[in-house]
Amino acid sequence: MIRAAALLALGIATGSAGAGEHLLAGARLFRAERWAEALVEFRVAERLGDSAARGYAAATLVKLERPEQAVEEFEARGAPPPGRDPLLDYYRAVACHDARLYVRADRLLAGIGARTGPGIARLVADARAEIAAMLRGEPRRDAVEWYVARCEDLDRAGRRVLARAFCDEARGLGERRADRYGVREADAILAKLGPMAGAR
Amino acid sequence: MIAASLAIALALGAPDPCAPVEVARAPDPGAAESYRAVGDAERAAGSHDTAAAAYRAALALDPADARSRAALALLCAEEARDGAFERGLRRMQAGDRRAAIVAFDEARAARADRSAALLEGICFYELGEDERARPLLSEAEADPAHRNAARLFLGLVALRAGRSADATALLEAAAADHRLGPAALDLARLARRDGRVVVSVLLDATFDSNVDLTPDRTADLTREGDASGGATVLLRVAPWGDSGPFVRGTAVLRNQARYDALDLGGGGVAAGWQAGRGGGYLLGEASWDYRELGGAPYLSAPRLLGAARLDGGHGRSVGVAYFARWESFLPASATAYSGLRHFAEADVTAELAPRTSGTLAWHGGHDATRDAALGWWEQGPRALLWLPLGRDARVGFELAYTWRTYSAFDAALGASRQDRFADLSTVLEQELGERWTLRAALGARKAFSNVPDFAYTRFVPMIGIAYTAGIL
Repeated sequence: MIRAAALLALGIATGSAGAGEHLLAGARLFRAERWAEALVEFRVAERLGDSAARGYAAATLVKLERPEQAVEEFEARGAPPPGRDPLLDYYRAVACHDARLYVRADRLLAGIGARTGPGIARLVADARAEIAAMLRGEPRRDAVEWYVARCEDLDRAGRRVLARAFCDEARGLGERRADRYGVREADAILAKLGPMAGAR
Repeated sequence: MIAASLAIALALGAPDPCAPVEVARAPDPGAAESYRAVGDAERAAGSHDTAAAAYRAALALDPADARSRAALALLCAEEARDGAFERGLRRMQAGDRRAAIVAFDEARAARADRSAALLEGICFYELGEDERARPLLSEAEADPAHRNAARLFLGLVALRAGRSADATALLEAAAADHRLGPAALDLARLARRDGRVVVSVLLDATFDSNVDLTPDRTADLTREGDASGGATVLLRVAPWGDSGPFVRGTAVLRNQARYDALDLGGGGVAAGWQAGRGGGYLLGEASWDYRELGGAPYLSAPRLLGAARLDGGHGRSVGVAYFARWESFLPASATAYSGLRHFAEADVTAELAPRTSGTLAWHGGHDATRDAALGWWEQGPRALLWLPLGRDARVGFELAYTWRTYSAFDAALGASRQDRFADLSTVLEQELGERWTLRAALGARKAFSNVPDFAYTRFVPMIGIAYTAGIL
């Protein structure tokens, strides 16, 4: 509820004329937990030129349990960069976590740090503890391989933003291994994929 | 537990595309166009719920928008399929797997749906119908989003079929998913210890505070303690896995430190058939056990056993077991103890949490010995609890109480004997590797009797190491 209220407040603050109306409607629907309708309003606001709507649409995709789409939205050109809004950074981290991009999620959560209130800070701490437990010990070779394979599958499907995120995750996991297994392979694919505007 | 999480993860709420659209007070065809564009984009991305919300908004603002109306009608038709999927999820979560299978089948009939295939496969697996589960799980495996979950269940299917190498490979592959990892790795370890041919060896060091109660029929008691070293070897062959015929051979050897006359040796063979697997099955077994005591023949005992377990869903099951054992004590001094022994038990078992299970049981028995004064009837409750201790260890506690009434007046004792037993045992199992387990146990019995000579307290601490491997 705190998060939805913050979103509502931000919607009012950043909205431009016509688009702002839809952004506000989206925020109200988000608060009412009517996620599908909220997403539609954010999409309309986006089409009408409100660039702020993309981040909120991505947050709504997290609520709709479409984490991979949410990651794509957060990473795409025009999305708010990490560090601007701790609330959106938190949703971005949740999207990564739910898409199984744990190293990336942890990086985002670490970046939120003390920039937020106690409610989000507690959620951040819990999420980081959960990820730390999950990533304890050296990652398995087949885990790294799974991320590389997923990256290649997504690349073939034309979802390059997400492909890059998965290769980046493979790289992050490989770097946690003493033999850096998979890092070179992930780097090679990342080089082929090229830099993405929203990728970090 | 995993199946339930998957079902919840796949469940999505959505606006109803079939519900009537309420027209806005102020129609706005221009705004409607924006909503329709969003609807088209969402639909193209496969997001039917948001597409439906967008088309509904478009129609509310422009009732004449034929494109939105047509798109919504199509979504409504697809809802029939999605409705079946949702219905399947609800039935699955309610534990009605048969109804869930019907709904998932309906969903898959409308179009290829690997989510439905995964959940239908899981339902079949949980019903023990592995042959029907396998093709569905293989279909789901083709979807990267479901690959690891499908491999986990394909691994479980292979495990139950006794294909331990396949099971290990599949479960280890499923462990690539961090969320499934711990469960998959535990199961992979189990797979290495399972198979069509399994060999198990247990070496132990034991102390018995009341050693001449072994066997516990001896009336001439010294109440001395003694240490012993034991070895037990077990070989089990089940060519078709869990469900089907099996044979088993065991060999036991126990050497006492002081009382050589109580050194125990022997073995046994068994053959049987289990129909069904997992939470529900029927089992019949015929076996024969032979024991020597102090190097001399002591006991020959053929046995017939029947058992059944009924799966109650949600990790709960009810089981019954019965055996009849024809015991022939071979030393002349012990032949009066020979006779037909019956034992029966009914239990309720529940998975209380991951790796935590509890059992409540009631047992009864009758020993129809040649000398009626040595025969008895008994009955009582038993409770068992298994708890995890970290990743690689677990601890079990068992409590039992038994009332035993002897069948006839014993002239030698000058009484009709009546005993009661309170038993407590605890066992700690620590996994040491893929196939090794350290086992430490403490058993305790307090025996009460109306004949004071038969009242005693007994402690049996044990430490042992077990090796178990699936050979094929």
